[in-house]
Amino acid sequence: MKRSDLILDLQAAIGRSWVLHAPEDLLVYEYDGTIDRGLPEAVVLPEDAKGVATAVRIARKHHVPVTARGAGTGLSGGAIPCEGGVVIVTTRMNRIVELDSENRIAIVEPGVINLDISRAAAPHGLYYAPDPSSQKACSIGGNVAENAGGPHCLRYGTTTNHVLGLEIVTADGQVLWLGGKTADTPGYDLTGVIVGSEGTLAIVTKVIVRLLHKPEATITLLGIFDAVTQASRAVSAIIGKGMVPAALEMMDKNTMDAVEPFVHAGYPPDAGAVLLIEVEGLKEDAQEQADAVASICRELEAREIRIGLSQEDRDRLWAGRKGALGALGRLAPSYYILDGVIPRTLLPTVLDGVYEACERFGFRVANVFHAGDGNLHPNVMFDERVPGATQKVLDLGEEIMRLCVDAGGSITGEHGVGYEKRNYMSWIFSEDDLEVMSRLKAAFGASERFNPGKVFPTSKGCGEVSSRMRAAIAKVGADAYV
Amino acid sequence: MVAQATVLDDLHAIIGNKHAFRPDEAGRFVVDGISPQAVVEPGSYEEVAAVLRYASEAGLAVIPLGGGSRRHIGNLPARYDLALSLSRLEKIIEHEPADLTVTCQAGISIAELQQRLKAHGQRVPFNAGSGHQASVGGVLAANANGPSRAAYGALRDYTIGMRVVTADGRITRAGGKVVKNVAGYDLCKLYTGSLGTLGVIVEATFKVMPVSRRERSIALRLRSPSDACGLAAELYRRGLAFSHVELSSAGGGNDVGWFLEILLAGSQGAVDRSEKELLGLAPRFKAELAASNEANETRSAGESNDDQLLCRLSVLASQLAALIEEIKRLESPLMVAEPITGVLRASWPAVDAAAVLESARAVAAKHEAVCVVEHCSVELKQRIDVFGDPPPAFALMRRVKQQFDPKGILSPGRFVGRL
Repeated sequence: MKRSDLILDLQAAIGRSWVLHAPEDLLVYEYDGTIDRGLPEAVVLPEDAKGVATAVRIARKHHVPVTARGAGTGLSGGAIPCEGGVVIVTTRMNRIVELDSENRIAIVEPGVINLDISRAAAPHGLYYAPDPSSQKACSIGGNVAENAGGPHCLRYGTTTNHVLGLEIVTADGQVLWLGGKTADTPGYDLTGVIVGSEGTLAIVTKVIVRLLHKPEATITLLGIFDAVTQASRAVSAIIGKGMVPAALEMMDKNTMDAVEPFVHAGYPPDAGAVLLIEVEGLKEDAQEQADAVASICRELEAREIRIGLSQEDRDRLWAGRKGALGALGRLAPSYYILDGVIPRTLLPTVLDGVYEACERFGFRVANVFHAGDGNLHPNVMFDERVPGATQKVLDLGEEIMRLCVDAGGSITGEHGVGYEKRNYMSWIFSEDDLEVMSRLKAAFGASERFNPGKVFPTSKGCGEVSSRMRAAIAKVGADAYV
Repeated sequence: MVAQATVLDDLHAIIGNKHAFRPDEAGRFVVDGISPQAVVEPGSYEEVAAVLRYASEAGLAVIPLGGGSRRHIGNLPARYDLALSLSRLEKIIEHEPADLTVTCQAGISIAELQQRLKAHGQRVPFNAGSGHQASVGGVLAANANGPSRAAYGALRDYTIGMRVVTADGRITRAGGKVVKNVAGYDLCKLYTGSLGTLGVIVEATFKVMPVSRRERSIALRLRSPSDACGLAAELYRRGLAFSHVELSSAGGGNDVGWFLEILLAGSQGAVDRSEKELLGLAPRFKAELAASNEANETRSAGESNDDQLLCRLSVLASQLAALIEEIKRLESPLMVAEPITGVLRASWPAVDAAAVLESARAVAAKHEAVCVVEHCSVELKQRIDVFGDPPPAFALMRRVKQQFDPKGILSPGRFVGRL
C-alpha cells in the first residue's frame, strides 16, 4: 500500500490538522534527546485513547510500525522511529483527568508534563515523587515507558513504584485497563511490566499515579571535597551506615566548571567534587540524619560542609544540578551521556576506573550523577568533527559500560536500553533470559509493531542512522538533562 | 499419563532416591485436599530445571511449595502430580551490608533471613505476620503484603532481582542486584503474585533497610472504624514515624470493639514526638489507650478454623470505613484492616460460607472493592473462582500464561480465571 493511502486514512480518522506528513514537519519528529535519527512516514496527534487505537489499527492495516512519542526528551532513542512508520505523539493528551487528594492518587493522560502533576497536587500538600532532571519538559507517558528516575528516587523509588494502573492501547487496537486505584488488583502485574518496556508492548493512554504527602522538613547539605575519591567514599559510607537520604548527588570539578558561570549556583570553583544531599522527614528525623551525614562527610575529609541553606540557595543548587547537562555545552562541541549502575560499595574504585579510561582515550569527562543509587552518568566531551573521534568515544563508552557490568551492575539505571544499548543486553542477560522477555512481547501481540529495533539485541541498523552516529551523542543544548 | 511408579523411578534418576518420595501422611504437601503423586526436593537450580524439563515432557502438573503457609491461596488445582519443594534451597547467596541489598534462595524462611540480617542491624520489610515457616519464594509468589506496606512499600517495590526456572527448565534471570536498573522488561513484577503459574522462583534479591533504632507499640481502642481510619489517615498525613498500622475488630453484635495497633519506629526523637502527637490526636477521634494485649488476644481466637472463610478486600482508603461497617453487618467475627492502604481481611466460620461470600461480594461491588477469597473449604472452592470475576485484561493474562507455560504444567487452574 502507498504512503499516500496511509496518510489519507489517518486524516479521515483523526482529522487533517492532526496528521503531519510534509517533509519539513516530519523532520521535527525524527530525533529525541539523543542524536539517533529516523524519519517517520506520518505523525499523528490524537486527542484520546480512541484516537490512539484508531491510529494503531490504521498503521496495522498498512503494515507499518508505530512509535509513541511524548515530549522527546528521552536519552536512549526511545521515541525515534527506527523503521519509519507512524509516530503517535501524546502532546494533545495532556489532561489531568482526576485528582483524588483523599486517596492520594491522580489519573493523568500521557502528555501531562511531570512537574505539572506536582503543581496540581501542591494545594493539597501532595506531590508526585519521581523527578527526572527534565521534569519541566518531560511527559508522564515517556516516564512510564522508560521507568524514569531522578535525584529523589534514591529514597522514593523510580516511576514503577508510583504507578498503580494504566490504560493502554494494544497492538491490535484494543483499549484496556491494567491495575487500578486500589492497592491490590487481581491477576498478573501487567502494569509493572509495561513500565520500563520502552514503548515496545503497548501505548499508554492514561496513568494512575500515586501521590505523596510533602515531608514536614527538608534539609539540604552541600559537602565539598578536594577529590572525587573522598566524595565517593563518603557516599559509600553514608549508605553503608544504613542511611537513605532523599537525594545524594555528586558533581565533579568539570561539571561545576560548566555549571557555575552559567547558573551561579554557588558551587565552589576549586573543589574536586561536591555532594548535594537532601534529607527529609519529621523535623527531628531530618535533623538527626543531617547531623549524621555531616559527621560522615567530615570524617572523610570534606573541606567544607554547607548546611542551613536558605530556600534561594537550595533552589540555585538544584537548578545547577538539574541544568548541569545543558551547561556542559560550554566545554565541548559534543558530549556522550552514559548511564550505568554499580553496587554502591564499589563507587570509589569504579569511578577511578572511569577517569582512568577517559584519560587513556584522551577525553575530558564530567561526572554528574545519582551517587546514592550507584547510578553513574559520565559525560564524555569530544568534538565529532575530528575524524575518528566519534568511534573512539563509543569505544570508551563501551569500556565504561563493561566496568559497570564487571562490578555486578547494570547497563542502564534510568535512561533505558533503546537502540543504543540493545547489543549490551547480552552482557547481563543470557539468551534464555532474553527469550523469556520476548515471550512477553509475543503475549502482547506486539512483535515488531510497536517501536521496532529497541531493547532486544539485533544486528539490524536503526533507520537512517549511520554507523558513525549510532550512539546517543547529544548535541550541545540547554534542553538536555541527565 | 505416566504410571506413578515410573514417575518416582524417573525422579530418582534425576535427583537421587533421597530427595524424591511419596507424600507423607502428615499432609505437608496436600493442596486443597489433593495429594501429589510424588514430592521432589531439589538441591540446586539445575535440579529444579531438570525436574521441570521432565515434568514438561511427561505432562505432569507441578506445584512449587515453600514453607506451605499460603497453600490455601488460589483456586482449586486443575491437576496436581508433583510437589516441588524448595526447602533445600535455603542459602543466602550474597549479602554486602554496605550495599543495602541481599540475595537469597527462595526456600529460606522469612524468619531465618531476618535473623541473619539482624546480625548486621538490617532487615527486609516483610510483614511480621508472615508466619515463621513462610519462605521467601512463597511470600513472593503469593504477593503477601501486610500492614507495613504504607510505610515501606509492597514486595514489588523492594524486590530488585530474581532467578526463575521456566516451565521448560531454563534457569533465567530478571532484574539484577543493583537498586536501580531499567535494562529489559521488569519480569520480577510479573512473577511477584503469579502464584507459581509462570515459573518457579528459586532466588531473589531485595533492598534491605536498617532495623529501627527505636520501636514503640501503641494500641488504641476506638468506637468506630471511621474514627480509626480517620486517625490512621491523620497519622500518615503528618508523616509520623510508624512502621505499621493495623485495625482490628473484636467481639460481635453491638459490643464490637475496634483496635488500632500502631508500631512507631525510627529515631528516638521521631518516635517520642510521634507518640506525643498520636496521643494528642486520640481524643479528637475518641480513642483511648487499650490494655497492652487486649487486641492480640481477641485476634488469635479467630485463627484456627480449617474451613473458615477468609476474604481479602481491597478498596480506596476513603471507602474503607464504610466497607467495614457493611461487612460488619454480615457478622464477621474477625476483621483486620490496613487503614492507609485500604485492605480488609474478614473471616467467618464455615457455616453458610457460600451465602456469606455472596453477600460480601455484593458489598465489595458496591464499593468498587476487589474481593479475593484467601481461605475457604474445598467444597466451596469447587464452586467458586476465589478471585471473583476475571479482570478486564484477562485475555491478555491468558496469553501471558500460554507463552510462559504452553503445556500448562505450572500450578494449573490455581490463578485468576483458573489459569
